[in-house]
Amino acid sequence: MKLDFFDVNTFIGRPMNGIFKPAKTGTDLVSEIRSQNISKAITWHILQYECSPEKGNRTLVEEISGHPELYGCWTILPPQTGEIITKDFFRKMKENKIVALNVFPEWHRFILNRISFGEFLDELIERKIPLLLTMDRACLSWELLYGLMKEFPELTCILCDIGIWGVDRFTWPLLEKFPNFYLETSLLSLEEGGLEATVKRFGAERIVFGTGFPVRYPKAAILQLAYADISDEDKEKIASENLEKILQEEKL
Amino acid sequence: MNSLWEKFLEKGSVEDCPVYDMHAHMGTYNRIYFPYGNFDPEITKKRLDRAGIKLLVFCHHWALFSPDIGNSINIEVVRKLPERLRAYCGLNPNYPEIIEKDVGEFEKYRDVFVGFKMLAEYHQIPVSHENYAPAWKYANLKKLPVLLHTWGGSQCNGPEQIRDVAEKYPEARILMGHSCHGEWGKAVRLMKDFPNVYAELCAVVDSRGGLEQFLDEVGSKRIIFGTDWPWFNHHYYIGAVLDSGLSDEDAHNIFHRNAENLLKGLIAN
Repeated sequence: MKLDFFDVNTFIGRPMNGIFKPAKTGTDLVSEIRSQNISKAITWHILQYECSPEKGNRTLVEEISGHPELYGCWTILPPQTGEIITKDFFRKMKENKIVALNVFPEWHRFILNRISFGEFLDELIERKIPLLLTMDRACLSWELLYGLMKEFPELTCILCDIGIWGVDRFTWPLLEKFPNFYLETSLLSLEEGGLEATVKRFGAERIVFGTGFPVRYPKAAILQLAYADISDEDKEKIASENLEKILQEEKL
Repeated sequence: MNSLWEKFLEKGSVEDCPVYDMHAHMGTYNRIYFPYGNFDPEITKKRLDRAGIKLLVFCHHWALFSPDIGNSINIEVVRKLPERLRAYCGLNPNYPEIIEKDVGEFEKYRDVFVGFKMLAEYHQIPVSHENYAPAWKYANLKKLPVLLHTWGGSQCNGPEQIRDVAEKYPEARILMGHSCHGEWGKAVRLMKDFPNVYAELCAVVDSRGGLEQFLDEVGSKRIIFGTDWPWFNHHYYIGAVLDSGLSDEDAHNIFHRNAENLLKGLIAN
């Protein structure tokens, strides 16, 4: 069967310490996803993490502009400093085709909890804006993630780059307790039977497709999903429908 | 683009491109939940069939992590699915008397074992340590594959320790499991210096770049396919290899030809 893929996990730009053949620009990323028969992608710019979230967010807007296949993901910082989150923040998101937010708490040196983000995350819940979290880049501990979900149990959260070693013992309690908690596939697919077991236990609705490009190989996640031991209907949900649904429910 | 990608995408497996997984495990494990951890011959066969895995060469977790269980579990498992499984005889250098016994009995279990497996980092004794010597000498004599867990920067199974054993045992077929992970350049150097040293892809293709470097600088004839199954998924790894820009010839070498050469004379057919 031919699946329609919507990739939730890509980034553009060249990391300061180098990486194998990155997508330097939005145009490069479009070229890559087209070559992989991926229809659309959510992306962010490595500047947001490594250099300056403020500069990175602006650069991202420039890079995805003019590319209907690309949607943006901005990085947030605590609202108190006013660096990123301003009064017209959500309006700007809408104007600039920003559909998701990400956050790198330990690297950007703040605590991701109700003290720092209470009203803002409450509003994200209200607006059903997805927060993309990564277990990569040493910026989030499982303890912090558990604490965040406990404080904001309705938060729409997509956990990306879940880890090379199987992490079902960490993720399944979160899937069990929090209905808007999702897993991204670029490393879930790496685990033998991990995707199938998660679908069987929690349903395909809780998984969204991601490649992890440019760190990982898109064809890896594509082939694994195509031949996962689940129904075709579930594959379609994971490949694109679940993410489409999340974004359709978003109120910007 | 190689034509094998379209074929794997169409059917999930390709008849004229069987896959040999030369780095696998078996059984449950304390630190990770494996959905397919418990060995069941029928389920294992079904999982192997899905991706066209012709042969899985493994060392059971329990053989590596419990001297009280040891290699008996490898023998038991292979004999339940002999048409698709072979094992490495697992070695724990903290118990040299068991190594001597297992090496002494290797011929008795030629229907099961095709070589040795060393997990030196976990056992905290370098692969070049004398406690491993009986196995190295035997592997050198019989030209057997020896699968090492290797990792960049390791003092037990890093590039320097591999160099020691590659020099000392030139006839042993040294498979660098994980290919000195992260120190790809040193893995390349070892392969260039020693014709008996091979790169193995488990954990290499978790990120892009390492495989491409091996292909560019050494060539596909020295690259072995392995996944750490049931840690990692076969289709994921096949897709990753086929996304590296390699040719069909290179893919055939990696997926089966190199393993077939290594196993020649060690298994029937």
